Amino acid sequence: MKEDSKVLGLLLVIAVVCVGVIAAVAYMHPFVAPEERIDWNLTLISSEGDEKVLTFDEIKAIPSHEGYGGFFTTGGIVNGPFKCKGVPLKDLCELVGGIDASNTVWVSASDGYLMAFGYDQVNGNFRTFDPTTFKEVPHEDLTLILTYEQDGAPLSDYDGRPLRIVIVSGRDDYITEGHNWVKWVDEIEVRTPASTNTS
Amino acid sequence: MIKIKYIIVMALIAAVVLSTACIAPKQEKTEVKVIYAGSLIIPFEEMEEAFESAHPDVDVLLEGHGSIQAIRHITEIHEEYDVLAVADDSLVPDMMYPEYADWYVRFATNQMVIAYTNKSAYADEINESNWYNILARPEVTFGFSNPMFDACGYRTLMVVPLAELYYENATIFDELIGRNFDPAIPMIKENGVYTVVAPEVFEPHGDKIAVRGGSVQLLALLEYGGIDYAFEYKSVAQQHDLRYVELPSEIDLRSPDYSETYNKAKVTLGFQRFTSVGVERIGRPIFYGITVPKNAPNPELGQEFVNFVLSEEGQSVLLRANQPRIPPEADNVNALPEDLRTVVTQEIKERPGEE
Repeated sequence: MKEDSKVLGLLLVIAVVCVGVIAAVAYMHPFVAPEERIDWNLTLISSEGDEKVLTFDEIKAIPSHEGYGGFFTTGGIVNGPFKCKGVPLKDLCELVGGIDASNTVWVSASDGYLMAFGYDQVNGNFRTFDPTTFKEVPHEDLTLILTYEQDGAPLSDYDGRPLRIVIVSGRDDYITEGHNWVKWVDEIEVRTPASTNTS
Repeated sequence: MIKIKYIIVMALIAAVVLSTACIAPKQEKTEVKVIYAGSLIIPFEEMEEAFESAHPDVDVLLEGHGSIQAIRHITEIHEEYDVLAVADDSLVPDMMYPEYADWYVRFATNQMVIAYTNKSAYADEINESNWYNILARPEVTFGFSNPMFDACGYRTLMVVPLAELYYENATIFDELIGRNFDPAIPMIKENGVYTVVAPEVFEPHGDKIAVRGGSVQLLALLEYGGIDYAFEYKSVAQQHDLRYVELPSEIDLRSPDYSETYNKAKVTLGFQRFTSVGVERIGRPIFYGITVPKNAPNPELGQEFVNFVLSEEGQSVLLRANQPRIPPEADNVNALPEDLRTVVTQEIKERPGEE
């Protein structure tokens, strides 16, 4: 009987020591998931048809803009608001010669979706809506950005990983129309009405 | 010692019981995912409730989108749904056959109206024969949804040219729409066909016209007096207790009897928003289509939901929601699931767009 309790006691001590060692190791060397490398190219096309290709890392190296934004779908489903970080679309256009009032900017995605933005929209001219009543409400300055980070983390595939067009401002109490929030962006083209470039 | 052993045994039993409780799957409901056109929101919300009452072990998940976008979720974004219902039945064969579907059932229709409220300017004067004069008055404002994003939007751009034909007045399109954009939107009249060419960025100038992405925004605008009138589906106007002007059948896109007339109106959109769908939309009678996609995770339940929509109870739901119904007709009746063949006996004689 005595032998049994000795063995049991020893096992208990060993178990406690093991748990302690594991806890100490975990504390000293916390597990940090390595940042996943994102292999994605964005093609910028000027109104003259010149192309410039940026990698995901190159896009992240451009000075960023942060703000809040949310959107609603045709069916009235509200998403967000999210805190988004990315590069203003206008700044990306500057990399291929910029835009003027005669241009439109076509943003294409890998799933075959395309949205055309006018000059005013590239400069943040959008309507904003109350997320409950969908009544139009006034807003602060809006910025159209190509985001790569939502609520402090890279975009999920569902949210358009790795690059998505979003509309942000300094406030989180209004939303914009969802068709502008292009997911999986892989090409941005500056066009003039006479442009015959095809994407 | 016996006490210690007793404690250990009891602890082990407790651990096994606890872990079993954690691992054992909960009795979860089976999900039926339904993706559908935004104009069906109200009837389908009621449909969800009625279907779930009849199937307590099922949870219907609804997701509303524009019709093309709804199909794209299946064909291009590769998400899985058990039921798809769209406001333009021709999209199903065009975008889904043969990989994602090989049949659909036409189950409902609609018609274009001009919705308004008691606060709208000239609310007591507007009628079927003067609506285009009222809308053209400088102090009157009206809205419609963006043809790039909403079928109701490009259907508005068909109704107005058809009005020119019907009322024999060649200025209606320009007065109501064309001149309110900068540059003006052209309408090309060629071989009896009226083609409206929409610009890339569909933004009117001035305050006369309001263009919004979809019905949701437009209805809010109308209800709080931001505009006097809105081009809408009749079902949507009724569901929101709005007043409305019914338009002649020759222009409201409701009747197959006027298919040939409707074909005379065409819209060319400003850019190809989806790789899978071109930029041309041709006037046709409005029909809603429903199907079970081939990659549905629960096809049997999907079929049961379609069956429910077509059943007497489902039809009562549509009726209560003011969604105009039609006797169901199937495209490719031979491919219909067995249990639907008893409900749908008619075949669509002429698929939309076919000569």
